[in-house]
Amino acid sequence: MFSASVSVTGYAETPVSRARVDKGEKKLTIEEYYAWALNLLLKQTELSLKDFKGQGVGVTGSAYPRAEIWSAEVVQNLGLEPKLLVRADQGGANGTALLIAGALAIHAGYVDHFLILGADTPMNIAGEGSLTWRYELDYLMPVGMMGPNSMAAMMMRRQMEVYGYKPEQYGKVSVSQRENASKNPMAYFRTPLKIEEYLSSPMISDPLRMLDICPFVNGGFAVLLSKTSLAWKISDKPVKLVGFGEWHNPDASNTLRDITSTGLKIASKQAYEMSGVKPSNISLLSAYDDYTPVVLMQLEDAGFCEKGEAGRFVEENDLTYCGNLPVNTGGGLLSYGQAGMAGGLHHVTEAVRQLRSEAGERQVKDARYAMVTGLGALAHGGSFINSCALIFEGV
Amino acid sequence: MVQRCKACGGYQWYPRPSCVRCGSMEVEWVQSKGEGSVYSYTVVRRVVANSPDFQRDIPFVVAEVDLNEGVRIYARVEGVKPEDVRVGMRVKVSFDNVTPEISLYKFQPAK
Repeated sequence: MFSASVSVTGYAETPVSRARVDKGEKKLTIEEYYAWALNLLLKQTELSLKDFKGQGVGVTGSAYPRAEIWSAEVVQNLGLEPKLLVRADQGGANGTALLIAGALAIHAGYVDHFLILGADTPMNIAGEGSLTWRYELDYLMPVGMMGPNSMAAMMMRRQMEVYGYKPEQYGKVSVSQRENASKNPMAYFRTPLKIEEYLSSPMISDPLRMLDICPFVNGGFAVLLSKTSLAWKISDKPVKLVGFGEWHNPDASNTLRDITSTGLKIASKQAYEMSGVKPSNISLLSAYDDYTPVVLMQLEDAGFCEKGEAGRFVEENDLTYCGNLPVNTGGGLLSYGQAGMAGGLHHVTEAVRQLRSEAGERQVKDARYAMVTGLGALAHGGSFINSCALIFEGV
Repeated sequence: MVQRCKACGGYQWYPRPSCVRCGSMEVEWVQSKGEGSVYSYTVVRRVVANSPDFQRDIPFVVAEVDLNEGVRIYARVEGVKPEDVRVGMRVKVSFDNVTPEISLYKFQPAK
């Protein structure tokens, strides 16, 4: 039994940018974001580089071209000397998958600390064409699929058809998360939205509108995991990891998979069983949200409502930071922005911040348990290949 | 053409070197009847930067088509107005000779 032997003892995120130099925004390199995120974490934890010698390091994959030995480059750039070095390539689930890998390594006794670093600069590499994968190149792009937008549109259309979900219900997710973002000075898009603005935003890959889609940003993150017995030496607000689960390529041998559900069903069940926490105990949900239909899908798969009920659920519940089920209190990828292959770490840092009562104006009252999900790799004929669920408990 | 496993008889798409049901590498190409139904679809109204050649075609429909053999394939659906496409609609394959070497599958409503 895992029994919360691992805690989060530090977290950091850099300001994000769309690299609009014409608007006075910063255009930094991916290396600079890695350095900045680590620097912020060192300041918060008052640790030095040598404290990480012989510990674990996890690095998110990158959309950056020519990153063949990426985790090695990152530790060399930063002057880190780890005993264990892991690189994730689970796309949106990169961050959450690294947390689980790190927790397992600590629990096994191989390292005491595991430092997770993730940064990406999708705004710097537009047009370089590395943001794809093999089955997309061969079997999706030639027939006119417009990347992940069209993949998400397929899920959304099927949900609308089978469960009768309405555009306004997807819009509620977009509008609520923007409301959360309006209280987060770190979010890129902070101007509150009206449902009418959602409905009149341009159709991109019908039924998917522009405001169903997360925008890219450049940014960097760092999260430190430590053995719980050592956690208080590093932080006066350690956040315990009480449960987790992963599942990859669900229904693997089925050539006609249901695209309206994900492996999060299985992953979240593991996390609930490990922690003894129920959906009704969750104070806030950091749900992977590259697209609004994906949020609806996860409310079902993580047990907050039955399959087919998510449309009504979002209508009847308040998803803002002051609501009965706060979802993506920092704005989520939809409003905070998606830092490429590192984007999923936003969900982790926001949950940790809330459980440390450091969320300022958007602080969720009496936040005790947070669930964080990560989904990665849009599946051929399915939804996502990678699913992760984590449950954290605050001080 | 779709793949069929000689060991277990299962069909699959996209093509892979082994069978996703039993792991056998004895997979062969067989002729699909080219008939199926629309599982889901999208109407592409904006193209992305790396696919400028599709600009002249918008709006167009790409669907996930479930073929009778039990595999799902992504393809354009033509011969019907985008607003008239429906989930569950029966469709049949046809081929576009894009270049002398390359012929691309697409679907249209079955008669």
